[in-house]
Amino acid sequence: MSDLTSEQVGALAAALGLPVTPDDLTEVTHRLNALIEVLSPLAELPLETVEPIPGLGDPPAS
Amino acid sequence: MSGAGADLAFLGARRLAALVRERTVSPVELTQLYLARIDRLDPRLHAYITVLPDAALATARRAEAAVMRGAALGPLHGVPYAVKDQFDTAGVRTTSGSRLMAEHVPAEDATTIARLDAAGGILLGKLNLTEFALGGTQHFPFGQPRNPWNLEHDPGGSSSGSGIAVAAALCGASLGEDTGGSVRSPASFCGVVGLRPTWSRVSRHGSFPLSWSMDTPGPLGRTVEDAAWLLQAIAGFDPKDPLSSREPVPDYARTLADGVRGLRIGIVRELTFGPETDAEVRDAVVEAARTLERLGAATEEISLRLVPLAGAIFMALADSDGAGVHFRWLRTRGAEYDQGTRRRLLTASLIPAAIQQRAARARALLRLEMREALTRHDLLLSPTAHQAAPPIAASRGVITSRHEVAGRFFTRRSYVTPAALAGLPAIAVPCGFTRAELPIGLQLIARHFDEATLLRAAYAYERESAWSKRRPPGMD
Repeated sequence: MSDLTSEQVGALAAALGLPVTPDDLTEVTHRLNALIEVLSPLAELPLETVEPIPGLGDPPAS
Repeated sequence: MSGAGADLAFLGARRLAALVRERTVSPVELTQLYLARIDRLDPRLHAYITVLPDAALATARRAEAAVMRGAALGPLHGVPYAVKDQFDTAGVRTTSGSRLMAEHVPAEDATTIARLDAAGGILLGKLNLTEFALGGTQHFPFGQPRNPWNLEHDPGGSSSGSGIAVAAALCGASLGEDTGGSVRSPASFCGVVGLRPTWSRVSRHGSFPLSWSMDTPGPLGRTVEDAAWLLQAIAGFDPKDPLSSREPVPDYARTLADGVRGLRIGIVRELTFGPETDAEVRDAVVEAARTLERLGAATEEISLRLVPLAGAIFMALADSDGAGVHFRWLRTRGAEYDQGTRRRLLTASLIPAAIQQRAARARALLRLEMREALTRHDLLLSPTAHQAAPPIAASRGVITSRHEVAGRFFTRRSYVTPAALAGLPAIAVPCGFTRAELPIGLQLIARHFDEATLLRAAYAYERESAWSKRRPPGMD
C-alpha cells in the first residue's frame, strides 16, 4: 500500500467535517502512514475466514 | 510528618482496615494523615485533580462512630482511597482529565464508587489521568503528573494519578481503568500492584468510555492483597452495565496464600526476550520466573507470534472506538482538546476500513492464540513494559516522521494490550529496580475469570521478594 499524502488525509477529514489545522494534518498523516505500515504484515495472514468478534461471553476458567 | 506517620501511610489498604477494625487507628486520624501528605507532596506530583477534605473528614467521622458503637463494618471500613477522575462521583466534578469536562458534575456515582463506599472506603479525591484516558497528552490541564521515584520521569498512564498516589502513599489504595494497560502501566512505572480484571468482571457504569469491548476498571494497591480486596468490593454483575458478567465472584482472599506449586507458567518469548525489551527489565523478569520456579511452579518459554503487533492492532481498534465517542466534539470543539489527544483521535477517525477490518480479524486470531496457550499453561508471564519509566521529555513534542510513531506508541503497548484485546485478567507486580532506581514490573496473565490464580501467584511472588516494601525517596 502506498503512503497517504497530506492532501489525501486533509480531503478525507474535510469529507467528515473534521477541522484539521496544517500542523495537525502533518502529524496525523505520519500517524496514519505508520499504522498502515506496521499492520501491513497482517495482509499475509488468512484473515478472510476469521470472524472479527471480540469474543464476548467466554466461559470462566474451569 | 513523623516517620511513624509515614509508616502508617505506606501500610496499604488491607492492613489499615485491620488496624481500624481493632481500634488501633481511627478513620479520622488516617484521613487527616493522608490529607496532610497530599497537602505536602502533591504540589510536586500532581496526582490529584480534586481533593475532598471536608467530605472525606465527614465520612471518616461517621466511620469512626460506627467503629465505636460496634456496628458491622465493611471490608475496607475506614480506609481512605482515591479514584481516577474518569469515574463519576455524585456532586463532585469529574473531568476525565480534559478542559472539555472541567465543569462536569455528575448526579450519580459510578457503580465502582458506590461499591467501594459500601465496603467502607473513604473517598479522598479524584486522580489525574491522560486526557480522556488516551495516552499521549502533551499538556495536562490539571498539572503534569510526575513519577515519585524520579520527578523527571513518566508515571505511566492513563491512570497516572492512581499509580502516583499509591506509590507516594497519598491514599490507602486507588481505582484506575485499564483499556489497554492503563492500570498496569502506571503500576509498573510507579512500583505498585495493578490489576486488570477480566473484561466484564467489573461494571463500567459511570466510567467515561474509550472502547466498549476493552474498558475495565481495576484496582491499584501497595500489595497484592490490597488489589484482591478492592476487586472483591467492586466485582460482580451490575444491571446498569448490561455487558457486566453474571459469573459468581469467588472469595479471592480464601485462596490467596495457596502458593504456586504445580502451576504451569508460560514465559512469553516475544515480550521477555525480544529486541525491544531492555536488558535490565529482561533480567529482572527472568529472575522473577526463577523465583516462581523455586516456589514450585513449572515454567517454559512459549511463542505468541501476533503479540508484537498487538500495540498497533489495539490502536486501530480502541482508538477507532474512542473516535466514535468523541466524533461530535472533534467537529465542534476540537481546539479545546490537548494537541496530542486531538491528533490521536483525528487519526483514528480516518483509519481506512480495510485496515480496521484486518485489525479486528487479527484480534480474534490473537485471542485464539492466547486461549490456546492458556489451555497448556495456567498463567502467562512477561514484563509489564519494555523499559522502566522513561523521561517525561521523551514523549513530548510533535511527531516529525512515521518512524517516531512506532517508538512512541506501538512498541510499549504491545506488552499490555494482548490481555486487553483478549479480555483476559492480568496483574502488574514490582519485580526489581534499574540501576537508576526506577521500578520494573512483572506481568502475569490468566484465563478468563481466573483472577484467583493470578492473585495467588502474584501474592506468592510478592511474599518471596521484597520489592513492594521499598518507598520512593523523599516521600516520607
